[in-house]
Amino acid sequence: MGYDVGRFCGSVDEELICPICVGVLEDPLQAPTCEHAFCKRCIHEWLNHQPVCPVDRQTITSVQLRPVPRILKNLLSRLTIMCENQSHGCSGIFKLDLLSSHLIECEHNPKKLIPCEQGCGFVVPKDEVKDHNCVRELRCTVQKQKQKINELQNQLSEHRFLINDLRRETSLLKEYMKVMRSTNPSVRAIVEEIERDEVVRWSNSLPRARVCRWGGMISTPDEYLQDSIKVALVESGCPSHIIDELMDNSHERNWPIGLKSLETRQSKRREYEKYICKRVPCKQAVVVLQIDNPLLDEDMMVEPGLVMIFAHGVE
Amino acid sequence: MANIASQRIKREFKEVIRSEEVARCSIKVELLDDNYSQLKGEIAGPPDTPYEGGKFLLEIKVPETYPFNPPKVKFLTKVWHPNISSVTGAICLDILKDQWAAAMTLRTVLLSLQALMASPEPDDPQDAVVARQYKGFPEIFISTAEHWTNIYAGGSRKKEEYSKKIERLMGIGCNMDQALVALSGCNWDLDKAIEQIFG
Repeated sequence: MGYDVGRFCGSVDEELICPICVGVLEDPLQAPTCEHAFCKRCIHEWLNHQPVCPVDRQTITSVQLRPVPRILKNLLSRLTIMCENQSHGCSGIFKLDLLSSHLIECEHNPKKLIPCEQGCGFVVPKDEVKDHNCVRELRCTVQKQKQKINELQNQLSEHRFLINDLRRETSLLKEYMKVMRSTNPSVRAIVEEIERDEVVRWSNSLPRARVCRWGGMISTPDEYLQDSIKVALVESGCPSHIIDELMDNSHERNWPIGLKSLETRQSKRREYEKYICKRVPCKQAVVVLQIDNPLLDEDMMVEPGLVMIFAHGVE
Repeated sequence: MANIASQRIKREFKEVIRSEEVARCSIKVELLDDNYSQLKGEIAGPPDTPYEGGKFLLEIKVPETYPFNPPKVKFLTKVWHPNISSVTGAICLDILKDQWAAAMTLRTVLLSLQALMASPEPDDPQDAVVARQYKGFPEIFISTAEHWTNIYAGGSRKKEEYSKKIERLMGIGCNMDQALVALSGCNWDLDKAIEQIFG
């Protein structure tokens, strides 16, 4: 809806008046052929009622509306208008195109947001400050949060229930598999093939990594570090039947002989460049899998592979 | 009342007051309440029609959704016209229904009503009895419309013959409106009118 003609200094040309709201055109749009101009909101509201020009009844639709010519925009922006907060004490008079930026900062705007002085942290429209009650507002917030917490707790217990169910089913299936494998050699072969494929698929999904500081390898990673690496492995899709072994092999007690003592590590430093390493996402760690490194000496590799954790130097 | 509606009516009210038609006493409008939702309009019967010399009052109700919906207008003054109900004053005019456009104003509505009085549309009637007479007995229609204008709107033309028939009916216990409606509807056939009222 347009601006009230009474707010303008001097008379306003009839051409700048919206025929629908009879205010001065606000965000004007014009009809495609007859070029009658209207406020954007007025013409959209009218076209919801009837798809015709409100002045001459030519058929038009919303998508056919066009911006008005520059000359009309210029004439509008040159008009001077009083601030709409005049009744609240603002005496400002502005060019129409500067009005909107003034309104945002107008001190007399009753809806201007100001922070509560009592320190409750709420931001309140100026005209609502006198009715603002910190305790009531905060209490209301607490109430809402309590409700949210309850909802979340309910969800959580539902999920727990679901997880337990799944766990039970999984262990049943595992048992079943174990029995199948031990009693039937052909099943055993199939399962092993499936597992190997799974490892290959996972390995291919990981990016290659280059270790530039073999001296940065951590030989006794603590539990916290191991856990965080394990989580990263799980998230990257590491097959569950090798994850524990891979992690166990990250500790020097399970390393192959070729890595075990400091001296061998120093003498074999060159050999390490032969390792084909895969990056553990987002971690200073690499996975060295046996299937990726089939040609390495036995004293350089363990089944099914190992995780090497570094302080730094993984690219 | 919605802001846009009252803004519009304020301005349109001034437009009517300043118009040349008001200067010629052809249309008039009056506010009935402070929030611009009810007005009283008046139009002069157009010259060279049976309504000439009459003043016709209109009830104008402005809806909250004005000007996206038309004002509700009806005749307060009784009138004999194919597109205006002789009983309720309801008007059948396209611009007050589906042909309304948001840029139309009180002034254009009043002028359109005047134009409607000058050129009836008997094929789109509001009052079927009047429309039938208009088409079948045009001379009776004209003198009947003149007679109504004389009785209700202060016009000067009337037929003595009609007045006498009305008096006859009033003499046997009818009121004036009842007698006029019955006689007009029966093309001033006294026996038929009596039968219609008492039969």
